[in-house]
Amino acid sequence: MKKFMTICAISAAMTAGTAFAESVKIGYMTTLSGGAGIIGKQMQNAVNLAMEHKGGKLGGMDAEVIFADDQRKPDVAKQLANRLMKSDRVDVVAGVIWSNLLMAIHKPVTRNGTLLISSNAGPSPIAGSQCNKNFVSMSWQNDQTPEGMGKHMQDAGIKSVYLMAPNYQAGKDMLAGFKRYYKGTIKGEVYTKLGQSDFQAELSALRAAGADATMIFQPGGMGINFVKQWKQAGMDSVSKLYTVFSVDGVSLPALKDAAIGILGTQTWSPDLDNAINKKFVADYKAKFGGYPSFYAAQAYDTILAIDHAIAKSGSKDTGKMRAVLAAGNIPTTRGNLKMNTNQFPIQNIYLREAVKDADGVVTTKVTGTVFTDHADSYAKQCKF
Amino acid sequence: MSGLSQFLALASDGIKANRLLWLLIGGFAVFPIFTHFADLPFWNDVAMRIMLLGMAAMGLNLVLGYGGMVSFGHAAFIGIGAYCVGIGEFYGLTNGWAHILLGMIVCGLMGLMIGYLALRTSGIYFIMITLAFAQMLFFLFVSLEQFGGDDGMSIDRAEFGLIDLYDPLRLYFLIWVALALVGLGLMFIVRSRFGVTLRAIKSNESRIEAMGLEPLRFKITGYVISAVICGLAGVLFANWQEYVSPDIMHWTRSGELMIIIILGGLGTLAGPLLGAIVFLLLEESLPMLLGAVAPAYAENWMILFGPLLIMVVLFGRGGLVGLIATRNQSTSNQKRGKAGQ
Amino acid sequence: MTFTLILEQTFNGLQAGVTLFLVAAGLTLILGIMDFVFLAHGSQVMIGAYAAAAITQASGNFYLGVLLAIPVTFASGYLLEFLIIRHLYRRDHMEQVLATFGLILFFNEAIRVSFGPAALFSDLPHSLSGFVEILPATPYPAYRLGVIIVGLLCAVGIHLLVSRTRIGAMVRAGANNPEMTAALGINIKTLFRLIFATGACLAGVAGMMLGPLTAVQSGMGEPLLILSLVVIIIGGIGSVRGAFVAAIIVGLVDTLGRVFLPSILRLFVEQATADGAGPALASMLVYILMAVVLIFRPTGLFPAKG
Repeated sequence: MKKFMTICAISAAMTAGTAFAESVKIGYMTTLSGGAGIIGKQMQNAVNLAMEHKGGKLGGMDAEVIFADDQRKPDVAKQLANRLMKSDRVDVVAGVIWSNLLMAIHKPVTRNGTLLISSNAGPSPIAGSQCNKNFVSMSWQNDQTPEGMGKHMQDAGIKSVYLMAPNYQAGKDMLAGFKRYYKGTIKGEVYTKLGQSDFQAELSALRAAGADATMIFQPGGMGINFVKQWKQAGMDSVSKLYTVFSVDGVSLPALKDAAIGILGTQTWSPDLDNAINKKFVADYKAKFGGYPSFYAAQAYDTILAIDHAIAKSGSKDTGKMRAVLAAGNIPTTRGNLKMNTNQFPIQNIYLREAVKDADGVVTTKVTGTVFTDHADSYAKQCKF
Repeated sequence: MSGLSQFLALASDGIKANRLLWLLIGGFAVFPIFTHFADLPFWNDVAMRIMLLGMAAMGLNLVLGYGGMVSFGHAAFIGIGAYCVGIGEFYGLTNGWAHILLGMIVCGLMGLMIGYLALRTSGIYFIMITLAFAQMLFFLFVSLEQFGGDDGMSIDRAEFGLIDLYDPLRLYFLIWVALALVGLGLMFIVRSRFGVTLRAIKSNESRIEAMGLEPLRFKITGYVISAVICGLAGVLFANWQEYVSPDIMHWTRSGELMIIIILGGLGTLAGPLLGAIVFLLLEESLPMLLGAVAPAYAENWMILFGPLLIMVVLFGRGGLVGLIATRNQSTSNQKRGKAGQ
Repeated sequence: MTFTLILEQTFNGLQAGVTLFLVAAGLTLILGIMDFVFLAHGSQVMIGAYAAAAITQASGNFYLGVLLAIPVTFASGYLLEFLIIRHLYRRDHMEQVLATFGLILFFNEAIRVSFGPAALFSDLPHSLSGFVEILPATPYPAYRLGVIIVGLLCAVGIHLLVSRTRIGAMVRAGANNPEMTAALGINIKTLFRLIFATGACLAGVAGMMLGPLTAVQSGMGEPLLILSLVVIIIGGIGSVRGAFVAAIIVGLVDTLGRVFLPSILRLFVEQATADGAGPALASMLVYILMAVVLIFRPTGLFPAKG
């Protein structure tokens, strides 16, 4: 009888212990359907890979990721955010590719007391005057990458530059960020139509302007079109091409050799030399057949950040997690990430060149570091 | 008092004649009770989105279904209404009633202007000119940097005096009241002399001209009314979404409104609302369905949605309302047939 | 702003124009003769581009890709008409809009399922990747020149077909008075099917030529569709000649407007405003043009009916 009671007591104690083991739910919002679905797909792959690497547990807790497709529409994003918070009762809302979608869900999610982590978008209002304690960026602030390009071109002594970006908020932000650090002559600042596919006219005007260098921001399909047409028009002999967010893991498979030699700045590159990144890139290539893009790396980092936050704080409480993240020193594919006072990363900006790797696949390689520990320009306006 | 009793008599008459519409509106009124007990508060959110879309669709239906004017630009009016809230708040105007008034007035004026210019044409030309205006407004708002450009503006829910919109149920019922009022208003308009004339213009404009009436005046009036309704929907939408951006006025959103109306039943009162319900529920459920059946293709759910629309057109004459009507017709015919024996 | 620049931009405008014409020609006939609002015409462009890119990748030869893609697009147009479109002729315009919108969704998604969401790789054929000097010291991409030539040849070919052959006479009669044409005993069903397939083919050719220049991806046809609708409105529904003239005008206005408008504006307002308003106005330019044409000529420049 005594033995039986002891066994019962011990079993009861054991089950009581496991019954209190918490689990954490993450709502990951990205664009999976529609034209930009390829970006969302890469991010989804990266998140799944991260979960695999972590054995399905983050910070010691069982973790579940619920993917949500925002279809690139702000009202769908808003509804999804509501569903994730109220119906699925997630502990963290993460992801979000586009700035306008992030602007749409920023207030509702943070007001609800749920931690919001961006894997990509970084519009300036959220970094500055409209900042909120419950928001953490695991990517960058939109202006940082072009600021790096501006500094590089200023330091390299390039005398004249022709600028081009699509005529929307991000395009204007990119060129504004560039001009913050580049003080040479700007021979032209052209805003193209959003979604434009044929740049021949702009290239003709470029040729006539005769600037030493050309700096463009043309994300997604626009970048593929532009670079293709740039090469086809033989523009390399007229001007040197620099890019931000246009030549990356998403556009390179379509550009292939056409991209070789093009320079760009970015906060990450597949060849960054640290253990986490090496494992990430190797496993991503093996599993999904192709290099990951920076979108994927940032998505991977988001999961690592959540793991770090729970492990260090011992809980999935929003306030405790964000305190850990705000303190920085987060292990990511970019090394140990530091955090600014507005909870945006302070990180290096690298100069990358598109090259062929040993297998003949075109990827980007770091050729220099433009900024070390670069902070964004809006932190001063942020008062929690 | 006789005026009020006359009004009530007309209203109850209309409600009886438009059972489906008032069934749906009534359904929305009691829906929150159901979600409360089923502990599914998120679905109130979906219902709000459906009501708002339905409201805008009902506005467009006045000109599209009843007036025969295929306007590709009505999403622009929703956008203008929404931006009235955003821009209003930007300049310190936070009173919700003022937003509604402002939104309806601005949309009315814009509707008058665009309608006057566009209604000189007809058919496919009218479609294209309304598309052109919508695109111009879209590009205009994208280029307005102070109002966020295409990144849009975050909005605080407006102050409606005693009604605190941050209480989700209050917002829900504010939207519901607006929907019911729009439904009531449209019901009266459609059955009025004005409405009958508008429908007559749709079927045979020259006959109306021969009667000595000026079709253009009726069309423009209808256009302005529909613009005002869409503007109201826009103001409430901005409050619901707490955000406004130019996406809301892109021509593809107008296309969505048209799909909702045609799906539900063109030229019927209940059609737009029914269409909105089905459309948004499909948008929610198709990905889930596909995810359960063929997970690898979950995000390709539109491959089912497209053919579904085609089939509705091929086999469902008069949209869903038409389908329901024919079913009722055939059962009542059956009954009559049996009685006749 | 040199003469060579203006000349180069004019060529660019011409190239944009003839590409638009190829898409608009089929659309104007479909809308004019069959009174059918075919929104999915952009999908025909996409099908052509994908067919050519896929065959080129498989065979390694660009010309083979184009050659084989032509019958493929013709067949796809033919099949589409036979399976779905012919059931919709008698329906309301709005129901046609709904059905063809459903087709757009279906085609875009089907392409994504078959080829994946990423853009397909396609590049210029080696033989055409060089430059031609249209004037001394003014190199112009040979491929684009080729596009202009092919487009003009197609325009001439269609003109001869429509004005010199019996089928062409039937097409013109159909555009002018469909009911009478049917009453005269002409096999309307086959005529419609052939017109539809030919329109699809032309749109496909536009897609095939654009493939090496731009990204071959799902939804690539929709922007061209909108612009073509603008073109046929300006040109007049049912008129191929109108489509040609309007396409060239729209191509030139859009191209020249984009590049020269900001500089022109700078003559009137200060630079910051010009740089801000310029691009916005440039994107609206084509729509403003259409609105203006409609105010003075409510049925377009060369209406086919009456």
